[in-house]
Amino acid sequence: MTTARAAAILLSKELRLEFRTRELLTTTIVFALVVVVLFSFAFEPTTAESRRYGPGLLWIAFLFAGSLMLNPSFAREQSNDTLDALRMAPISPFAILLGKMLANFIFLAIAEAILVPVFGVLYNVSFVAVAGRLIFVLALGTLGLVVTGTVFSSISAHARMRELLLPLLLLPILTPLLIASVEATARLLTDPPELDRTWVAFLAGFDIVFMTASWLLSDYLVEE
Amino acid sequence: MKNFESLFAAWMVVWAVFFVYEVSVARRLAKLRDDINRLKQQMREG
Amino acid sequence: MKGRVTFALIASALMVFGGYAALYIAPDEKTMHAIQRIFYFHVPNGICSFIAFFIVFIANFAYLATRRPKWDWLGVAGAEVGVACSTIVLITGPIWAHPVWGIWWTWDARLTSTFVLWLLYTAYLLLRGFLDDPQRKAMFSAVFGIFAFLDVPLVYFSNRLWRTQHPQPVILGGANSGLDPTMGKVLLLCWVAVACIMAIAIADRYRLERLRYEYEELRFEVESRGTDARTQVEERR
Repeated sequence: MTTARAAAILLSKELRLEFRTRELLTTTIVFALVVVVLFSFAFEPTTAESRRYGPGLLWIAFLFAGSLMLNPSFAREQSNDTLDALRMAPISPFAILLGKMLANFIFLAIAEAILVPVFGVLYNVSFVAVAGRLIFVLALGTLGLVVTGTVFSSISAHARMRELLLPLLLLPILTPLLIASVEATARLLTDPPELDRTWVAFLAGFDIVFMTASWLLSDYLVEE
Repeated sequence: MKNFESLFAAWMVVWAVFFVYEVSVARRLAKLRDDINRLKQQMREG
Repeated sequence: MKGRVTFALIASALMVFGGYAALYIAPDEKTMHAIQRIFYFHVPNGICSFIAFFIVFIANFAYLATRRPKWDWLGVAGAEVGVACSTIVLITGPIWAHPVWGIWWTWDARLTSTFVLWLLYTAYLLLRGFLDDPQRKAMFSAVFGIFAFLDVPLVYFSNRLWRTQHPQPVILGGANSGLDPTMGKVLLLCWVAVACIMAIAIADRYRLERLRYEYEELRFEVESRGTDARTQVEERR
């Protein structure tokens, strides 16, 4: 079975599993919403300030929500030893990782799709004019987050204090992604809005580097 | 020399970090060597 | 044993001489005077932290390729020493900055990147602390180490790009533009001294890890012999 097909099957399993209870999705969305609301208490921003700091806040909310969401996604496999079953299946180890990455991407994307409009309403920042380009930037940033996050969640699943360990491993690695995503998003909110080619290229580069590294090291991540 | 205290503080920091590190490594080394000798002794007797 | 003691003596002598050179031989810098001499400890430690982290990368790669434990020992040794060097950089930096600019810290490209580097390898060491099984510890920290090293150029590049878009006071620009030749020689001497210390620290830490491994193997053997002896006693009964 090809990697792509195996990953697709695993992805549909993840989606079916999650949409039965939707518990991971709802908690992720609510947590990100809490961060967005807390921002208003901590800073009381004016509309101009919201435009200035909004991108940073949004991406921090996504980073934190993502870090919290990634662990349960792998931990689910451990309670029923399903990971052993997957390992014995005639599929490449990367297919297992890829299936998880795609599932996490979709979950986080759904959370972002809800959060961005809510943020726009709460802080009077309009994203309508740049919707297409914003989706593109969000996709690139989320992809980087999800690729590294899934790899590290497979590592921290075997460790003690995994809830604390995952953000500890993930957030330092993601600082370049945070800078690039925030800058690219902020550029979309300037007057006139433009898609910053340098930062977008950087994001794409980041994604390619870590996707390739994950593929090359997938054997070591999934074995035993 | 102006600001000599700051310079001295920095010099002390360099030495302190390496000194503390080396001492902690040396102590663990000594303890391990003792443990290994104890185990070897146990093996010879047992 | 003899070689190690000799090397340690040479390294100490170099450090003492380097310190003397930094304080008295190096010419006085025109604007910052004495405090600028921190540069002679600050920069060599920065360079050595990079060397140490590169060693970690090589060790990680070699471990995944060969699965021999000695590469894991080298990895943790390099990481600990690298973090020690980075800590020195991060502490001496503000000590230098405060008398000169009145601020302890600024989020310029180089400082921010150094801080993230410190965080990355501290995370590497913490990860090892939370993994109990030794084989898993070696393997997963090797994977994380490779990811961390791949991230390093991305960290530096993104910070540079970001900070040139929003210009900040350039702190280290003065020291690097056109180095006086005597300063250059003193810097080289101090770097050699710190590099020797770094090599000793890595070698010692490596030895510690190797001994720990031998201890675990011995202990396992003693315990299994104890079990055999007990089984024999029970069978005789």
